[in-house]
Amino acid sequence: MATEGLHENETLASLKSEAEVGGSLEPRRLRLQRGTDYGLVLPVHQVAERVEALGQFVMKTRRTLKGHGNKVLCMDWCKDKRRIVSSSQVCHEHAVTMPCTWVMACAYAPSGCAIACGGLDNKCSVYPLTFDKNENMAAKKKSVAMHTNYLSACSFTNSDMQILTASGDGTCALWDVESGQLLQSFHGHGADVLCLDLAPSETGNTFVSGGCDKKAMVWDMRSGQCVQAFETHESDINSVRYYPSGDAFASGSDDATCRLYDLRADREVAIYSKESIIFGASSVDFSLSGRLLFAGYNDYTINVWDVLKGSRVSILFGHENRVSTLRVSPDGTAFCSGSWDHTLRVRGMVFCFPVCERREDG
Amino acid sequence: MKEVMSNNSTTSISQARKAVEQLKMEACMDRVKVSQAAADLLAYCEAHVREDPLIIPVPASENPFREKKFFCTIL
Repeated sequence: MATEGLHENETLASLKSEAEVGGSLEPRRLRLQRGTDYGLVLPVHQVAERVEALGQFVMKTRRTLKGHGNKVLCMDWCKDKRRIVSSSQVCHEHAVTMPCTWVMACAYAPSGCAIACGGLDNKCSVYPLTFDKNENMAAKKKSVAMHTNYLSACSFTNSDMQILTASGDGTCALWDVESGQLLQSFHGHGADVLCLDLAPSETGNTFVSGGCDKKAMVWDMRSGQCVQAFETHESDINSVRYYPSGDAFASGSDDATCRLYDLRADREVAIYSKESIIFGASSVDFSLSGRLLFAGYNDYTINVWDVLKGSRVSILFGHENRVSTLRVSPDGTAFCSGSWDHTLRVRGMVFCFPVCERREDG
Repeated sequence: MKEVMSNNSTTSISQARKAVEQLKMEACMDRVKVSQAAADLLAYCEAHVREDPLIIPVPASENPFREKKFFCTIL
């Protein structure tokens, strides 16, 4: 029905006239993004009706890593798919002690030869990795980024030479590792920026960031301009991750939902939520094909969502405190979750058996 | 005090101007229909699902995270 989705006192005619006359752009953009404009809306789930349902998943914890003495806050995979760097409340990762508490962000360099980390020290520092036990890694540390508030996220770009950072000071920034020079800064968030993710390399120089202002913003790295903004979450966005094709991204928020935003349609196209899930999602990541969305929550669980159908495929237990970070390995064979229970768990698929009748997971 | 106040209104005017510029720029964007965008997401999924080891499990011999089993025989 073309008139579905209209609010009281609105008619198709009144909405059209408002758009033509150019009446306030801001509410219109929000309405477009929420899909309540002009009725006919086909979210991803409807389009995906004809897609075969996924079977029952059985995931097994392959490794439980217990080296941290404190809450695990962040982790990242090395491109060699075997190594992981993780950071915690009292700074130990890969045997480097940092002179600050709460190392909130860490990242592996693409070459695997260095790591970047930072947190409450407001800085992002790069450590070249060495496996020589006699060498003191902390001595070779290089301070790259300098913010005026805590560092919440960092990521190397396509090379070891540049780092993108997100900070509690509300900005993101691009830095040259060698000189420590600020190459570009990104202003626009109205509050702390909590997360960022770089677009997969095929799709060009953009990245997405999420913040405490409930907005997810897509930026052009060269110009520093915000190219798109999405504001449908109802609370802080803790995690953003691009869909493998680069045409969409998912977000996890304190409002207990994960959402999928399509960049070309410029709007939210799916919500992953359940009434029974009331705790915030802290971290999200896609499987290799983009069919599965793994999300770690503050209620200690990991929910696995069918991205296309919008239903929950599996719920994974095991952590004894909130899941703070979650990443799928670069080759997609496993994913690792880090938690405030001081452990990291690497999980992989055991098998998947098809079910004849798909029933709504209670 | 007066200076501070006029500074505030100048900054809020410039902020508002920036916001309008930003919104105008975003409004000019070419948007794809949601049904088309959703269909493309679907197509990508279907094209890559065979290679996704978390959906189609890889044989144990190729799984780097499998438990390594050692078999003993009684001699």
